[in-house]
Amino acid sequence: MRSALALVLVVVLAALMMAGVSQLPPPGEADQAVHRHVAANYLADGVEEGGTGNRVTAVLLDYRALDTYGEVVVIFAALIAVLLVRSAGGPRTQPPPRRVPVSPVVDQVIRLMTPFIALFALFMIIEGHVLPGGGFQGGVVLGALMILLSLALGPDRLRGALHTGALFWLRAVAPLAFTVSALAGLGLVGWWFALPEPGWMREFALVLLELAIGFGGAAALTGFFLSLEEDIHR
Amino acid sequence: MVVLFAVGLYIVLTSQNLLKKIIGLNIMETSVFGLIVTSGMVDGGSPPLLGRGLEAPYASPVTHALVLTGIVVALSVTALALVLIVRVKRECGSIELDELLEPEE
Amino acid sequence: MSPNDVFDLLILTLLIGCALAIARLKDLAAAVVLFSIYSFSLCLLWVHRGAPDVAMTEAAVGAGITAVLFFYALTRTGRREK
Repeated sequence: MRSALALVLVVVLAALMMAGVSQLPPPGEADQAVHRHVAANYLADGVEEGGTGNRVTAVLLDYRALDTYGEVVVIFAALIAVLLVRSAGGPRTQPPPRRVPVSPVVDQVIRLMTPFIALFALFMIIEGHVLPGGGFQGGVVLGALMILLSLALGPDRLRGALHTGALFWLRAVAPLAFTVSALAGLGLVGWWFALPEPGWMREFALVLLELAIGFGGAAALTGFFLSLEEDIHR
Repeated sequence: MVVLFAVGLYIVLTSQNLLKKIIGLNIMETSVFGLIVTSGMVDGGSPPLLGRGLEAPYASPVTHALVLTGIVVALSVTALALVLIVRVKRECGSIELDELLEPEE
Repeated sequence: MSPNDVFDLLILTLLIGCALAIARLKDLAAAVVLFSIYSFSLCLLWVHRGAPDVAMTEAAVGAGITAVLFFYALTRTGRREK
């Protein structure tokens, strides 16, 4: 009964949305509103203006840096919320599930692949302003590497290895870096999030921001994962 | 994409399992991302990478940046939801909505 | 119909099939694996639409991290949906 009602509701809503979507301009034509206003400017500015060939990175870190600032703050807030939920401990109602040791094949492959994955993640972060990739992608790959390492080494050893003061502060590095970038832009150039001239300084600033996003994102992901793991096995 | 949105919404509405609801939510999110990226594409266009020998027309970089932000925020939301679900399971012994809503005897 | 259209149609069919299967399945572990497949097909679609940056993020986030987090939650909450 309930699912039939939901089905009717969903079908009606889908029909309405379909009618709306069919009114949108057909995708794929180069002279539409999406491609004419800001997008055309961002592309026409070219490498000289943004200091980067990857225009997606330019939009993220330069033109729309305020939005990206909001995004890293959201990630940071989610991490804080996860840590709060974890630390509000209660009595547990069931015994924790048994930890199953990982097979030696998986273990060895992870150990073998670790340096290569780390190198690839760093390459993505540092080259993110000229090639596809960037701080977020590289950061996620680094975070995935940490999850793999936790499979091979065991979460407690990983936690022990990561538990240093500097790494703790990495969780906050992305919002901090964007705050610095905003203030530095205002102080040195004259408007928020402005990147310094000349081109090589601009490129340097972009790489620094990418590094901050990458390592901050990886630290946040590792935090998510370790919290979940601890909540399950505690 | 609308179909995907509808299926995701259907999962969110009908499934009693909280984990399944989160999967449905993720499907809804990706369907919206799909709509945005599709609106920014150009037939026969190349990715918005300048100076790499690719030729115009380029796809719109604004939509890509928008979706990139969206994916990462969706991941944060999912992670927070999963931690909360695990906590609900631990405190209440179930993650089925109908069991959770039953009055305790 | 050009090869491009065929590719698009194939991926979209796969996406909708995966989503419907997730809606029907009672086994949550299978649903998570299907969601991983779903994300990866979506990633192919992004590359095809000229968005390699989005594709990379989707591959790492959707097909990788999200699935792992879901699996960890599953070990605690049970893989069967009632």
